[in-house]
Amino acid sequence: MQMDEQSRPELARGVRLRNDPLTGEPVLLFPEGVLPVDETMYAILRRCNGDLTLTSIIRELAEEYDIDPQTVRQDVCECLTQLREQMLIALFK
Amino acid sequence: MKDRPYMLLAELTYGCPLHCPYCSNPVQYPDGRELSTREWGRVFAEASKLGVLHVGFSGGEPLLRPDLPELVAAAHAAGLYTNLITSAVGLRKNRALQMREAGLDSVQISFQSDQEPLANQIAGASAHATKIEAAKMVRELGFPLTVNVVLHRLNIDQLERIISLAEGLEAERLELANAQYYGWAFQNRAALLPTRKQIAWATGIAAEQKKRLLGKMDILFVTPDYYTERPKPCMNGWGRQFMTVNPVGDVLPCPAASAISGVRFDNVRKRPLDWIWDQSESFNRFRGTEWMPAPCRDCSFREVDFGGCRCQAFLITGDASATDPACSLSPHREKLTTFVESIQAVHPAYSSAEQRPLRLSFRQNPTDRKCHTA
Repeated sequence: MQMDEQSRPELARGVRLRNDPLTGEPVLLFPEGVLPVDETMYAILRRCNGDLTLTSIIRELAEEYDIDPQTVRQDVCECLTQLREQMLIALFK
Repeated sequence: MKDRPYMLLAELTYGCPLHCPYCSNPVQYPDGRELSTREWGRVFAEASKLGVLHVGFSGGEPLLRPDLPELVAAAHAAGLYTNLITSAVGLRKNRALQMREAGLDSVQISFQSDQEPLANQIAGASAHATKIEAAKMVRELGFPLTVNVVLHRLNIDQLERIISLAEGLEAERLELANAQYYGWAFQNRAALLPTRKQIAWATGIAAEQKKRLLGKMDILFVTPDYYTERPKPCMNGWGRQFMTVNPVGDVLPCPAASAISGVRFDNVRKRPLDWIWDQSESFNRFRGTEWMPAPCRDCSFREVDFGGCRCQAFLITGDASATDPACSLSPHREKLTTFVESIQAVHPAYSSAEQRPLRLSFRQNPTDRKCHTA
């Protein structure tokens, strides 16, 4: 499935977004490992709930952080593509 | 930043229904009694406090532990992500349900080949059909599934079919783990190491199929380090991110480390885990860069690959603090290249299991005296 405006990303099966108890920083836990999550990725991941479309996620982020939507789109697509490659994000339509 | 373990490999038992000739278990099993349910519970609680976020239940075959669901529950209660690494022999539905109830997050199942006769021949047991059924059941119960296939000269040519097998099982991940030559695999390396040509072909296939399967299945393919110029950053550095607790409670920086003679590993029955991680001689022995000999000491890659693998350095050079011969800068490089070149001369027919009997020593289970069950 290709990612498009109407895709509704969510954490893939068996992937957990948690806070690292030692540092308080968010991390993704998945079957074969642990991935530290930076601020940008966290803002995106928090919205990957299977309800919001890619369009809505971009709009929300652009408003909340007061950034131009084109820039947000690029960041979101880059981040989600990387996470999809590792099967950390799944898409629903 | 202080080193802290993120992942714990919990080797629950060295017993296993399979006898794979590349098993990562030690060739010499330690003496002692397997840790009890209660002792493992303490290990998980201590590990969590130390920073561990993720535990892999491994072995041998972890399903041989009757208390496996309790152990999963204990790790889950300690806040750890739990992954079962199994042959799937003995993974019946009621057991899988108990473990799901206990909080098991994911399941990894090993396959030896896509073809039943070869798979059973490599495993030294009639297990392939059981694995297929178990993998389907795991999917029906909603677990994420990783398929793990150790690649070597006898199965690597079937890579496309192996990928189809994992795809058909709807696995999220396929680990194409080229055999790592320690323990049993080191003994069998002349029969197992693929040729350079096989590796080049397989690398291309894996990359091509990974692209095709984007969003459906991730393929992890790592080139065997016998064919690389730079060594792998083994365990991301000794005592930096990983720890293994073996069946009798010895704590190791990596599962193969017990093969290094002259290093004594501390045990969870005698010492708390945080002491072992922070202060033990074994965990500090190759931590950081102070211990490094030339050429590692002055190398700009020293914080990238950490001098490679200590176990491999020991197995090939006899000195665990030597530069890993997988590095082209190693003064012992020739010991590796001579062996690697001898493999290239192997006639292709030799690589086919149907045409030649396997000349392999199969992994044995521990005898009664060694690491017996609790």
